[in-house]
Amino acid sequence: MIRLDNVTKSYLTLRGRKVVFRDFSLDIPEGRNVGLIGRNGAGKSTLMRLISAVDFPDRGKITTTARLSWPVGLTGGLQKNLSGRDNVKFVCRVQGVRRTGIREKMRFVQEFAEIGDYFDQPVSTYSSGMRARLAFGLSMAFDFDYYLIDEVMSVGDANFKQKSREVFAERLQKSKVILVSHSMRRIRKMCEIVVHLDGGRATIYEDVLEGIRAYEAAGGVEGFPRPEDSVQLEEPKVDAADESAEAEERATAAAEAEARDEAAAARARRRARRRARAARRAAGGNA
Amino acid sequence: MSRPDRTPFKIQRDVLYALLLLELSSRFGKSRGGFFWVLVEPVAHLLVPVMIFTFIRARLVPGVEYPVFLVYGFLPYLLFKAICLQIIDGTNAGQGLLAYRQVQLMDVFVAKALAHSVIYAVVFTVVLTGLGMLGYSVFPLRPIELGAVLFLTIGLAFGLGLLFAAISSLMPDARAAIKILFMPLYFASGILFPVTRFPDHWVQLLAINPVLHLVELSRVASVEGYQPMPYTSVVYPMGLTLLTLLIGLMLYRLRYLTKVTV
Repeated sequence: MIRLDNVTKSYLTLRGRKVVFRDFSLDIPEGRNVGLIGRNGAGKSTLMRLISAVDFPDRGKITTTARLSWPVGLTGGLQKNLSGRDNVKFVCRVQGVRRTGIREKMRFVQEFAEIGDYFDQPVSTYSSGMRARLAFGLSMAFDFDYYLIDEVMSVGDANFKQKSREVFAERLQKSKVILVSHSMRRIRKMCEIVVHLDGGRATIYEDVLEGIRAYEAAGGVEGFPRPEDSVQLEEPKVDAADESAEAEERATAAAEAEARDEAAAARARRRARRRARAARRAAGGNA
Repeated sequence: MSRPDRTPFKIQRDVLYALLLLELSSRFGKSRGGFFWVLVEPVAHLLVPVMIFTFIRARLVPGVEYPVFLVYGFLPYLLFKAICLQIIDGTNAGQGLLAYRQVQLMDVFVAKALAHSVIYAVVFTVVLTGLGMLGYSVFPLRPIELGAVLFLTIGLAFGLGLLFAAISSLMPDARAAIKILFMPLYFASGILFPVTRFPDHWVQLLAINPVLHLVELSRVASVEGYQPMPYTSVVYPMGLTLLTLLIGLMLYRLRYLTKVTV
């Protein structure tokens, strides 16, 4: 059970207080994979931070009886001056795992992350990919009722991605997920219900497609709809490479759209100039 | 396995234990010979003035062995400075740790204060043992009183640390200004020689500094025949400790210190 009761959350900025939620209540149905969708700035990440107890409400109460993960794959939770090994030890201790348990988790993370000797080097010497591997491995080493995932989890090369997906699929046999994503394809694939955030209010949709429609109706695709996001289409068969590229696609989508508009405008200008020149030539020929 | 059946007490204990080990290992494991360097700083702090003043043969503190005078002045001063600065920086340093829902910022502060208390306890035991072997009478006159003074020191460092942390998380630029406050502290706390050597109107001014009171109280409790500055008071640092702890903890409760960037 995860329940938010009359939660108010605001942030203090230099231009005054920005209220994200005011008297916000939400009861997340139990035992279902939850997709959290909404436009940028709708409060998805804030809600996720409140649920994961990284941040706290100004007023109101958040109660849960479930074991919730920390945000999966979060590299910010790693201590940079410590080795990967010491980081794993620390998290084990916080989770109440001792001695033999620690050794077991250590083996799992070490094998999963595949960072070789770097496991005993300070995290500050890692590449971002290595950090992500370690952080993801660490998340997967523990059993939770819910894994909290903000945005994508596609890190590393194709091989690692494949492995991540397999391990995660295995975890999802027993556990559930709360997923924040802009990718409707992933939401459709992983979630059983959808929570749509709009204007500080949440609506729960038992039917995922209905939720996605509400999201799109609220202008959720940033004014740049992609055909594969539309719910009218058949579920496309996705291969690994396509899946991995999706995150970057989403990120650059807006930029691409802009670029395309600009290119089109430039083309139009060139065409107009060409036509004008041709007209002048024609006129000159006649004279 | 993560255990859903942990009691709040056990979670608290696990978290503090984890943070304490984290703090110690990041302090000792930072460079080669970590523990050695942790020891070197206070020893160097002690040795340099001892050598200078002992060999110049200035009789700085009548009736009192100078190195012993120095050690019992440094003890509360270094403890105060370390814990206070650790807590001010703790708001930043601890941010990543808050990703784990069991870890609260207060846990980070408590672990840091605890770790530094342990470190200084070990360091000063080593230093005092060394001095003792050189023939000085180092054993504190009233150990329990000294313990109480050091406890008060930790409390004041914690309270002021929380207050400064709140100020610097509301105004990040104030952090540098606050740290500058610590620079004259060394001289304003009468570490190297008794402040009574200054004219009286200076001493009255210096008596605003609570660390000076703690330094004097520590010496009174430890060194036989030590004459503290005339304004030395227990009530002043104690009252200030309670006041800063009250305001500091209040600001913490109101979440002025938690500016999450995870």
